[in-house]
Amino acid sequence: MSARPLQPAVAAGGVVALVLLTFPLYASRFLVLQIGAQSLFLAIVAMSLIFLAGYGGMLSLAQTALSGLAGYAIGIVTVTHDGPLALAVPAALATSTLAAFCFGLVAVRTQGIYFLMITLALGMVAFSFTNQNYTIFNGHTGINGVRPPEVAGVSFANHRPFYYLALGVAAVVYAGLTYLLRSPFGLALQGTRDNPRRMRALGYWVQAHRVAAFSLAGFVAGLGGVLGVWYNGAISPATISVPRIISILVIAVIGGIGYLEGAFLGALAFTLVTNYASSYTDRYNTVIGLSFLLIVLFSPDGLIGLGRQGARLGARLFTGRGPVPARRVLSQAAPGSNVATPEPPDRAVEV
Amino acid sequence: MKQLVVGLNGLTLGALYFLVASGFTLIFGLMRTVNLAHGSLYLFGGYLGWSAAERTGNWVVGLAAGALGMGVVGVVVQQGLLRRIQGQDLRESLVTIGLSIVAADLLLAHYGGLTYSFSPPERIHGATDLRIASVIYPTYRLFVLGLAAAVGIGLWLLLNRTRLGIIVRAAIDDRAMVAALGINIQVIFALLFALGSMLAGLAGVAGGSALSLSTGEDQRYLLASLIVVIIGGMGSLEGAAIGALLVGLVEQYGLFYAPYYSATITVALMVAVLAIRPQGLRGRPA
Repeated sequence: MSARPLQPAVAAGGVVALVLLTFPLYASRFLVLQIGAQSLFLAIVAMSLIFLAGYGGMLSLAQTALSGLAGYAIGIVTVTHDGPLALAVPAALATSTLAAFCFGLVAVRTQGIYFLMITLALGMVAFSFTNQNYTIFNGHTGINGVRPPEVAGVSFANHRPFYYLALGVAAVVYAGLTYLLRSPFGLALQGTRDNPRRMRALGYWVQAHRVAAFSLAGFVAGLGGVLGVWYNGAISPATISVPRIISILVIAVIGGIGYLEGAFLGALAFTLVTNYASSYTDRYNTVIGLSFLLIVLFSPDGLIGLGRQGARLGARLFTGRGPVPARRVLSQAAPGSNVATPEPPDRAVEV
Repeated sequence: MKQLVVGLNGLTLGALYFLVASGFTLIFGLMRTVNLAHGSLYLFGGYLGWSAAERTGNWVVGLAAGALGMGVVGVVVQQGLLRRIQGQDLRESLVTIGLSIVAADLLLAHYGGLTYSFSPPERIHGATDLRIASVIYPTYRLFVLGLAAAVGIGLWLLLNRTRLGIIVRAAIDDRAMVAALGINIQVIFALLFALGSMLAGLAGVAGGSALSLSTGEDQRYLLASLIVVIIGGMGSLEGAAIGALLVGLVEQYGLFYAPYYSATITVALMVAVLAIRPQGLRGRPA
């Protein structure tokens, strides 16, 4: 045989793809829709957060609001104004991207913990605005009766087509973001995460990179929001309330906030827990909160981190190769905090 | 004289926001910890105070129970959880988010979705004739104004006129140096965290008596604290006072003149401040 041996990562990816593609053929409607499709569109929104947090160093809590605004746009165009789908989807994506651009202009002036607070405040304000505004957003009730579209005789109201639509969008987003992160823009973005000052000295316009990344993440969150509003059939302020904001954060952190793949793992774990734990206990939010706490405290790289630790252990046992460094997004010390971590060596030169 | 009453309402709300946000900003100023469970401390303190007041029939006992109870909770959280990951500010705030999820769920389980209200003592309960433009105003709200002013002055004196205050201010500038001078910085951290949490608990009872107490209030006061300290400047006591008054007044006048957009007006204020001074009105550049 002249063929190279199959890489384990490629083999695993193939198996995952096969399972994802064939899963609706034998699973129940509940599993396909409630678990499968819901995980997928939550994962899309979570990917927009992981893209920003893991690769741009911007832990944004505004992603839920941005996805919700896209959902509102769908509702307003198709239900309130009875407009066509061909107008609604572009309008929704334009809304979330433009809103993200505006949010970004405000938020990228700050970093780290300030960024987190400002995006949280922006997200909470989007909630109270949609809750108070009746002329456009119909206040507390929101917009009901949003129907999934029918394209070329295929109705996405059926569970299998909807699942494949969500899967397709998620795959495109995942591939697109992976590609983008290897492009010069993606590398520059990761540079601004690691050392904004040095990037500035090298002639990069750091703020523009961050605003662009934030707008792009708004677009991605918008895709998740469009799928979400079709899934729920309605949109209301409750969809973008603080618990929902936190859900997306929980998904990203549980999955592994340093890796795009973490979004899928986290979303799957989250939907499984919310759907199944609720039949054992009323306090499933406590279960979610506690698991989130444990992950943050003991495995900052999330489930992916746990998996990698296992794989590292296995690899060391079998091949004797050295460990692969983990991507610690959350445990980095803040710039300016004078506890624990030693200063990076290039600091002295920059000041 | 509707405008005057609206102004007074704004001041009272600002006073309440100051009580909550002062603890938040103190903790941040010293430890760089953004305690996103601060709203939960407010709500938990309020509920605890309500239970204590109900048990004893004494509102003052409720106020003390809410404040002291949250002080203890604060120390436990800080020493038990946050100290393990000190210096990693994002992780610290995520831990507090996790706590707030659990706290909200457990409080809902225990106290249900009901709305609770207090009955403060007779002396501060009725209404007071202000003798200005014949305005009659609830006495209790004036009491909240006074309480906030007293807390503000007390904190200022504590920070500026006591040995503890000197240590705290020095630690804000350079923790490592203060620790090197032989001061047990962990004790200072624990004390300040307890103080900040106590203020949240105190505000829970004071605010619960001025308005009412129900699930969701934790988020409302967390948002208020965030906006107040973003406007006023993180870690600054005067900033929290200015920010709280601004937000309280803007919110109430906003409700009066444009009822559907009060939240939007408040955020516009925040955006305007950030655009001109990203570090907040009284904050230091990062």
